Amino acid sequence: MELTGNHDISAAAQTLWNLLMDPDFLARITPGITRMEKISDDNYLAIADVKIGPVKGSFKGEVQITEKQEPEAFTLMVQQKSSIGNVAASVRIRIQELSPEKSNIQFEGKAQLSGLLARTGQRVLSGVANTLSRQFFESLEAEIKQQV
Amino acid sequence: MTKLIGQSVKRVEDKRFITGQGQYTDDIVLPGMTYAYILRSPYAHATIKSIDTAAARAMEGVVAVFTGEDIAKAGINGVPTGWQVNFKSGETMKEPPHPLLVADRVKHVGDSLAVVIAESREIAKDAADLIEIDYDVLEAVWNPADAIAADAPQVHEGAPNNICFDWELGNPKAEVDAALAGAHHVTSLDLVNQRMIPNPIEPRSAIGHFESSHDRYTLYTTSQNPHLTRLLMCAFVLGLPEHKVRVVAPDVGGGFGSKIFHYTEEALVIWASGKLGRPVKWTADRSECFTTDAHGRDHVTKAEMGFDKEGNILGLRVKTYANLGAYLSTFAPCVPTWLHGTLLQGVYTTPKINVDVTGVFTHTNAVDAYRGAGRPEATYLLERLLDTAALEMGMDPAELRLQNMIQPFDGVSQPGYMTQVALQYDSGNYQATLHRGLEMVGYEQFRQEQAEARKAGRYLGIGFSTYIEACGIAPSAVVGALGARAGLYEVGQVRVQPTGKVSVFTGAHSHGQGHETTFAQIVADTLGIGMGDVEIIHGDSESVAFGMGTYGSRSLAVGGSAIMKSLDKILEKGAKIAAHKLEAAVEDLDFAEGKWTVKGTDKSIGFGDVALTAYVPHNYPQGVEPGLDFSSFYDPANFTYPFGTHIAIVEVDPQTGKVDLKRFIAVDDVGNVINPMIVEGQIHGGLAQGIGQAMFEGALYDDGGNLINGSYMDYTMPRADDLPSFEVDRLVTPCPHNPLGVKGAGEAGAIGSTPAVVNAVMDALSPLGIFNPSMPMTPESIWRTING
Repeated sequence: MELTGNHDISAAAQTLWNLLMDPDFLARITPGITRMEKISDDNYLAIADVKIGPVKGSFKGEVQITEKQEPEAFTLMVQQKSSIGNVAASVRIRIQELSPEKSNIQFEGKAQLSGLLARTGQRVLSGVANTLSRQFFESLEAEIKQQV
Repeated sequence: MTKLIGQSVKRVEDKRFITGQGQYTDDIVLPGMTYAYILRSPYAHATIKSIDTAAARAMEGVVAVFTGEDIAKAGINGVPTGWQVNFKSGETMKEPPHPLLVADRVKHVGDSLAVVIAESREIAKDAADLIEIDYDVLEAVWNPADAIAADAPQVHEGAPNNICFDWELGNPKAEVDAALAGAHHVTSLDLVNQRMIPNPIEPRSAIGHFESSHDRYTLYTTSQNPHLTRLLMCAFVLGLPEHKVRVVAPDVGGGFGSKIFHYTEEALVIWASGKLGRPVKWTADRSECFTTDAHGRDHVTKAEMGFDKEGNILGLRVKTYANLGAYLSTFAPCVPTWLHGTLLQGVYTTPKINVDVTGVFTHTNAVDAYRGAGRPEATYLLERLLDTAALEMGMDPAELRLQNMIQPFDGVSQPGYMTQVALQYDSGNYQATLHRGLEMVGYEQFRQEQAEARKAGRYLGIGFSTYIEACGIAPSAVVGALGARAGLYEVGQVRVQPTGKVSVFTGAHSHGQGHETTFAQIVADTLGIGMGDVEIIHGDSESVAFGMGTYGSRSLAVGGSAIMKSLDKILEKGAKIAAHKLEAAVEDLDFAEGKWTVKGTDKSIGFGDVALTAYVPHNYPQGVEPGLDFSSFYDPANFTYPFGTHIAIVEVDPQTGKVDLKRFIAVDDVGNVINPMIVEGQIHGGLAQGIGQAMFEGALYDDGGNLINGSYMDYTMPRADDLPSFEVDRLVTPCPHNPLGVKGAGEAGAIGSTPAVVNAVMDALSPLGIFNPSMPMTPESIWRTING
């Protein structure tokens, strides 16, 4: 499954970078994530509950941050396991500063699904992914406004 | 007494089915029963680095957990293949093992990794969630045409380039090449006969029950084929003595081919029950049905047909890549070869035919027989070629067919028709069904309506399919020569009880076909007794001597004929007893209406009195054994060859690509008919499945080899409002070589209908160009066809 999108956020690139590197912050604003624990630098354990139509599952696995180019770009490697199937995703995230108050976040990557997750409702999953990413960016924007 | 044969007698089995009293495998609950859940691979291709079952074993209520390592340690073989196909070079096909549980490398989504056995199914499932497996995910391949590429991921170590066999049939390829090279016109089609998922309403289920008191096993299973399952499981997988194993296939809720085969789960529950000393039940959930019931079709084909200037067929060349899946299912190798290549004569006089089939392994679930099995694939490519050729050459598709059809022959005064592809057709009148179909559809009037509709910007189309199929599988010597590892006769035992009531034991198995009615009609008519005096018993290896099961539209033609043979023996012996009692010679007796009468007198004795005499032989003919009970093994002289004409009328909206199936006409000739209602029901069901393939169904895979439409939310099957009210008629050309003159009707609908619908869409869109619509013809697919 292809994952792409972009969103303007009212913050400078370095501000966004700092927030996105903070696991507690990410756990708070990412839809479905219930817990994120640091295993080592740039390597986290994530636990998430996701419901896609009739398919529900508790996911557990690692999230790794690689190919860091502060404050412009990084890659998220996600390996999540659940009883309804596994997810392996690799997403490149780019932050482009448009002005000191505004940046564009763009993401591009692929997710490989398996198990029940792959064979039930996969055709609606990209819609679900879009909804989740929109929720993420809306929460991000709201958090930034609050901090300001 | 009214004859029962030929009457639409209501089905006797329906009373229990419609009142909810059917007894299916999953309904059976035995004392001390445990429940199995099978942990399956979420990946199409992965090596297993480690597997940790400790947490699952520790869960309360878990009785045992077994993995591939346990199976390997126990020395248990994988499930075998029942049909051997050789390479063109003569080399035996590649036959990789199919273990009950995989220890090292999974080869398709749904491959079995471990079984958890617990006090309840829920506990077993929850415990399976606790099994930790570390995988190394590998590249997978699902398309048979891609799988043979040099750099494609390999499914089995011993099958280079994923090739199981390459096979050809017919005239030498050079002769066919020459015929096509010299042709005035060659129609060439690239076709995908997409993968179908059988979807019987009842999921597969199996119960293993070991009784240590007798050292005896019972397997209850959702099988079309209980005796063969016992043979394969005992002799090839578990090494159990066959007389200590009973296999029961109770009521079975549909199969469509997918329940013919011996599955790993059957052997697994038997083995586990023996190990645990408790009954073990496994029942698939719907998701497992999608990923592990053997699938159907899945051919990628190039088909070319050459014609002379007048439209006479000169030759046919076919190259097919047939997807076999990751493992060879019981009959998998025979479906794309001997059940497909042999049907490429169709009903036409094509003088040169060459078919070349490569059987290919992929990282997908196994492919095997699905309603029609090979014959729908052959019919699809032939009938698509005929309508496309007619359009390309500016000829009428019905005329083109009539011009090329084999002339009528009855197989009695005229010999059977020898094809270029190894078969001898039994009897046929192919033109008659087409003429009747044209009459029913009002062909000339339709063409006028179509012309007017086109002027108004509407796209109406008509499509034809004049199919033939080979049923009544079959003469054992013939199938043996073709690679079958079993005989394909059938067993029929008729036991007349002392009171004249009759128990009939058949090796055929009914899972929707209505044998309990049809067979009883035959027995009651032949013996002159009431249908209520006849009981049909099937599906239990303990009561039925042997059997080859139900598939290939064989039950009536082969199983019914076996019963007829036993009925002949009953009447022959009965006549001796009757002659003794009537103090007459056997030759002087007539048997009718359930009694023997001395010709020209009113002296007679009823069937019931003769039966009683046979069991209370106080006054009895010398040299005749008591009792009235005969068993017969019937091995037919040939296949049977039903045929017919299917015609579809559609309207297509080119703006949206939506296809509206407006009419469907089916004229089938299945030989003599015992119960017209049941035959019509079989035709209707087959049509729905064939139209389903044309318009709605088909397995879809992503690049990782995941089936992505593996649920009823995602996999479309036809619903009542998708289908018109079918217009069906029958003609009768009796089968010349079996005692009932029947040919079989179970698959005809699914074999003939698919190309008719696709041809109709091609015809509808012909003002926009000559398209080759791909199946399923969803609005999106048709829109893309039109818009490139």
